[in-house]
Amino acid sequence: MKIIGITGGKGGTGKSTVATALAFELSKDHKVLLVDADVDCPNDHLLLSIKRKQIKTVRQRIPYFDTGKCTKRGVCGKVCRTNAIVSIKGSNPIFMENQCNGCGACRIVCPSGAIRWESKGIGRIFSGKRDSLDFLSGELKTSQPISEFIVDHLNEETEKVRQNYDYIIIDTAAGTHCPVIAALENADKIIAVTEPTPLGAHDLEIILQLLERMKKKGSIIINRSDIGDKNLIVSLANKYGKKIIFEIKFSKDVITSYSKGEPILIPDICSIIK
Amino acid sequence: MKSIIILSGKGGVGKSSIAASLAVAFSKDRKIVCADCDVDASNLSLLFSLSTDKYKEWAPLSTNQIAVVDKNKCIGCKKCIDECYFKALEFKDNIPKVSEFGCEGCGACELVCPKKAIKLKDIDNAYIGYADTGYGFKISSAQLLPGNSGSGKVVFEVKKKAREIEPKAELIIIDAAAGIGCPVIASVTGNDYAVLVIEPTPSGYSDMLRALEIVDHFKINKGIIINKYDINKKFSEKIESFAKKSNIDIITKIPFDISFVKAMTEMIPIIKYKKAYEKLFEGIKEKISDRLD
Repeated sequence: MKIIGITGGKGGTGKSTVATALAFELSKDHKVLLVDADVDCPNDHLLLSIKRKQIKTVRQRIPYFDTGKCTKRGVCGKVCRTNAIVSIKGSNPIFMENQCNGCGACRIVCPSGAIRWESKGIGRIFSGKRDSLDFLSGELKTSQPISEFIVDHLNEETEKVRQNYDYIIIDTAAGTHCPVIAALENADKIIAVTEPTPLGAHDLEIILQLLERMKKKGSIIINRSDIGDKNLIVSLANKYGKKIIFEIKFSKDVITSYSKGEPILIPDICSIIK
Repeated sequence: MKSIIILSGKGGVGKSSIAASLAVAFSKDRKIVCADCDVDASNLSLLFSLSTDKYKEWAPLSTNQIAVVDKNKCIGCKKCIDECYFKALEFKDNIPKVSEFGCEGCGACELVCPKKAIKLKDIDNAYIGYADTGYGFKISSAQLLPGNSGSGKVVFEVKKKAREIEPKAELIIIDAAAGIGCPVIASVTGNDYAVLVIEPTPSGYSDMLRALEIVDHFKINKGIIINKYDINKKFSEKIESFAKKSNIDIITKIPFDISFVKAMTEMIPIIKYKKAYEKLFEGIKEKISDRLD
């Protein structure tokens, strides 16, 4: 069993195109699970026209302030580093739920035991299927800041079923921060999809540095390889000792399929996992 | 001082390209400054041909702390491990070990430790600085160091920096990251106008709707730019009728043009690369100005 993470740094380089095309093609001969871990903006179900079914609500703990017990000393707000609590000596604390990450510092310092746990919904986990391809997807509730909590739950669900599959393909969000790191945590192999522009190269370099820090194996796919300047990517690949394993030429057909929600066919895409 | 944010939810739909050219257009009649709030993958300055070696200032920034355990004071009670909501502590060799990626710097472990064996320590999690674009205005920018957290706080620093380097600016133009999580929420708050860039695909549409929820959460006035509108005209029409129904301005529609990639490769804003875009961005500027003032 192999877990392959598809990432890239820059947005719109073709991560989801590659992840869905690879997963769909592989699923014709193998047992494959595709995991859409771009929980900010999940799109793989749209690309494959999968109707998702919710299997779980992701909840995060938040403090509940018992104003009857609160002695209004103003200590909880002082330890809150996400600025979710404003507490002034002599008044009840004001709580801004959206900013809370559930760390619990307020509850530790409360001198009167006035804080207990409640929870808030911060996202959902879905499952689905397209022909023989199984699918999991996570979605952050809008205005909630902590995408990686949803990715953690997605990882948990993936973990439960991992022995059923030959391949698990994980599609990450754009960027390089927490939710991307969480999505790549369990991957055996990482593929960075990039485009041959200075912007693509800049963001690819950050991903390659991240892979070094995470001690993960990685390789590169150049999308729209015939427009822009390929040398930008080749020199980065050399600098970081990474192989360019596949190139996809610019094609208006890809854009058309993409815009219609049809599975995109990339000839020979399965060769990248050999 | 007014501020405009460019966002889209989906990546690669043209946020930075549009932000760069819009900045050039606005700079003709206002004192402006740019803030690249995509601190994960800071790209806007590349469109002005600026790599960080051309920056006037580029220095380490600390907006984060991580827990450090003093093994001489630790008695191995594991209270910190039970308390850590982020599962960033692991008991190894009779001592709690802080994981490299998980620590949010919340301080719960420090507060719960009975022996004061845990202290939070500042760490450099980003670089921040500014540059002269060579087009008559400055840009502030930051880059989160690979594997570090705290992008939301870094975004606030970039916005602050923009105001510092150009205190007399009449307008700040902010380029947001892809997505709708922590760094985007930090970018969107406090703006006067939001430009939602969308491409006519199911993904582009779905992601724009999610970005729109963030904009509406902060009650910010907004308009839509449909980029590459002719790759799927039917879908473009769907977006236009959605906008009409929801009472959102369609600022403009931009056709698919390979020149955008060429301009990007040559690191020149499209408005300076191809004459035809001067008029287009003038028009965008006029429309936004009407809403802004």
